[in-house]
Amino acid sequence: MSDSAAPPGFEEAFHQAAERHERVWVFIAIVLLSLLMAGTLFFVVLDYGVVVQTDGYRADPASVATTPPFADAALVRTGPNAYAVHMLAHLWTWTPSPLHVPQGAAITFYVTSSDVLHGFEVQGTTINVTAVPGIVGSVTYTFAHPGTYYIICNEFCGIEHQAMIGRIIVDPARPA
Amino acid sequence: MSAVVGRGIALPAVHADAAERRTMLAFLVWGFSALLIGAAIGPLQALNYGGIDAYPYLHPVLQTYYQGLTVHGVLNGYIFTFFITCGLLVYLPARELGLSPNMALWRLCLGTMAVGTLMLLYAMFDNSSSVLWTFYPPLKGSAFFYLGLTLVVVGSLLPLPIVLDLRARWKALRPGALTPLVTYMSAATMLMWLLAAIGAGIELVVQLDPWALGLTDTVDPMIGRTLFWWTGHPIVYFWLMPAYVSWYALLPKQAGGKLVSDPMARLTFALLLVFSLPVGSHHQYDDPGISPIWKGILAALTLSVALPSLITAFTLGLSLEYAGRLRGGRGWIGWFTALPWRNASVAAQVLAMLTFIFGGAGGIVNGSWQLDNLVHNTTWIPGHFHITVGTATAMTFMGVAFWMLPHLTGRAPFSPRLALASVWLWFVGMSVFALGMHWSGLHGVPRRAWVSYLPHSVYERVYGAAHLPLLLVAAGGVILWLATIAFYIVFAGSLFGRRLATPVAIPFAQAFGGKESYAIDDTEPAGVVADPHLSPLAKLLDHLGVLTLFTACVTLAAYIPIFWPFITHMTAAQGWKVW
Repeated sequence: MSDSAAPPGFEEAFHQAAERHERVWVFIAIVLLSLLMAGTLFFVVLDYGVVVQTDGYRADPASVATTPPFADAALVRTGPNAYAVHMLAHLWTWTPSPLHVPQGAAITFYVTSSDVLHGFEVQGTTINVTAVPGIVGSVTYTFAHPGTYYIICNEFCGIEHQAMIGRIIVDPARPA
Repeated sequence: MSAVVGRGIALPAVHADAAERRTMLAFLVWGFSALLIGAAIGPLQALNYGGIDAYPYLHPVLQTYYQGLTVHGVLNGYIFTFFITCGLLVYLPARELGLSPNMALWRLCLGTMAVGTLMLLYAMFDNSSSVLWTFYPPLKGSAFFYLGLTLVVVGSLLPLPIVLDLRARWKALRPGALTPLVTYMSAATMLMWLLAAIGAGIELVVQLDPWALGLTDTVDPMIGRTLFWWTGHPIVYFWLMPAYVSWYALLPKQAGGKLVSDPMARLTFALLLVFSLPVGSHHQYDDPGISPIWKGILAALTLSVALPSLITAFTLGLSLEYAGRLRGGRGWIGWFTALPWRNASVAAQVLAMLTFIFGGAGGIVNGSWQLDNLVHNTTWIPGHFHITVGTATAMTFMGVAFWMLPHLTGRAPFSPRLALASVWLWFVGMSVFALGMHWSGLHGVPRRAWVSYLPHSVYERVYGAAHLPLLLVAAGGVILWLATIAFYIVFAGSLFGRRLATPVAIPFAQAFGGKESYAIDDTEPAGVVADPHLSPLAKLLDHLGVLTLFTACVTLAAYIPIFWPFITHMTAAQGWKVW
């Protein structure tokens, strides 16, 4: 124990300063985390396509592929400027894809899987929903810009996982 | 102050006997052997993101990227960390207290995990279980995989009774004395892990083992996934807390100073015990079936976990500053440059701490629900955990190995210069890799995808915008290969070096404000000095049983509402072997 050869009084002074600064630091940390919390919930309450809702359960996940609403699903109009689509993830494709949606409309995606877990990520957006066999999740998002968006499977689903890429084509809104 | 010294209690032996050293060495060798295989494969995955597919050249050892990734994740995430931790968290408290641990249990721990590891290796290398380290059902691997993992988890819990027994024996001789710091931190870590392991334990024993053995036909994927994250979040603290033990209790001494606050070290571990457990489902912000209200509560609890880490940043930063100033460092950053940077063990751990600042900041992004939506399951996430467990933990364990191998074997360390080089290479390689991974994640590049196997035109069309960051990922991987080679030359060389004349002591640090932390080395007897002015906070936190019970209740309160809809809407999914 030959180290710690502190000059007389140094350890004492250092310790006292440390205790003072420690209190300030803990206070700053708590304030910082509280602000982050408030910020997070602010964005989540306004949704922005972040919040995944639960639409229902299926005891037999394989059956969703052959029964409505997921079988032969297409974009359906649900309101003045609102649409919905049932998106099925299965080894190793997205159905329906490519999917045309109008710019500036609220699109609700109902997402599930008929086999293993998949991940419904739309590149360049906040849309990120786990496709779980047996549970239908939903998220609502408004595409502000026209163009091609890729649906990328982001949950490992087997040997062709990397190739499970779908497309959403956002058609430009007609000038009013 | 010396009330308990003069009772005629024989002072316990300060030196570990040969059996304890041999067993600790076995834990180190098993753990670092796992890391050797895992780290050798890692850069292949980095090259994958750079568009280079090395797997066609690896037949028949590895068939696919996903098989390599499974081996990499399981060996590095579970086997490496568990062996090192289950060694350290018995050996260090035993040496701190000067007591001999229950050797039969400790060897059983080693043996159980070793058998489990061999089963896992068999199941992974025959490509029957390329389910990645998360093994989400209904992907279905072989029974060897799940049973092997079950054994590893069971084995990893055995240090708990050993540490509690050490603590009880020590306390029985010293009524009213505070648990010495290293023992406290070890016990808190193992109690946390006991509660944490319940999730994956149930998933394996109730769901996956019978299913893989053919006793049941179907499985509920969401219940499995939620049980996995019950464990999967606190496991990051099972990776981290042993590194914190070294940072709080050993590193200040290695750097030439003291720990500036013993009660804060205890508070950190107590908070980690409580906060890490109920929040596992924040890994499921994007899952259906969990109420948004609960996700909001989880977000709040998750951000609370940052508090103990911020306290740690302060306390450890200050401990290093104290050491640096004693070494003659002046001014705002002079104390930092004055640290003993030529000591590879110190350099490894200080660089690990620096990296962890960025790891913690990224963790706050992941924990913030709305930001997580942008990065969930993109390369951002592995980028994050390669600078937490992959650097903060791995480099700390490497740093510990640098002094511990000579301590255990009595042999000279091999080439301190190469050791220092391996540390810097790991730091630079992992920083470049992680920068690339975080950055490409923001472009929506998914994690763990065999993108180099895609037709080049598709790779360019979908991920072309992330070209530069993906090149950084590959470059980081190549640097990490060099780091791995350098480290293992040092590791192997240190096992067979020349005999040292003087033994290497364990660098237990002392704390400010009395002797709350116990310093044991070759010249001083084991911790027999009761502290004259116990900190009230430290005294309160010594009730580990109450803390554990409270945490168990909070965890149940958090999970019952999450599991309720899944239990009332069961899914019967068949298994899939699709790799």
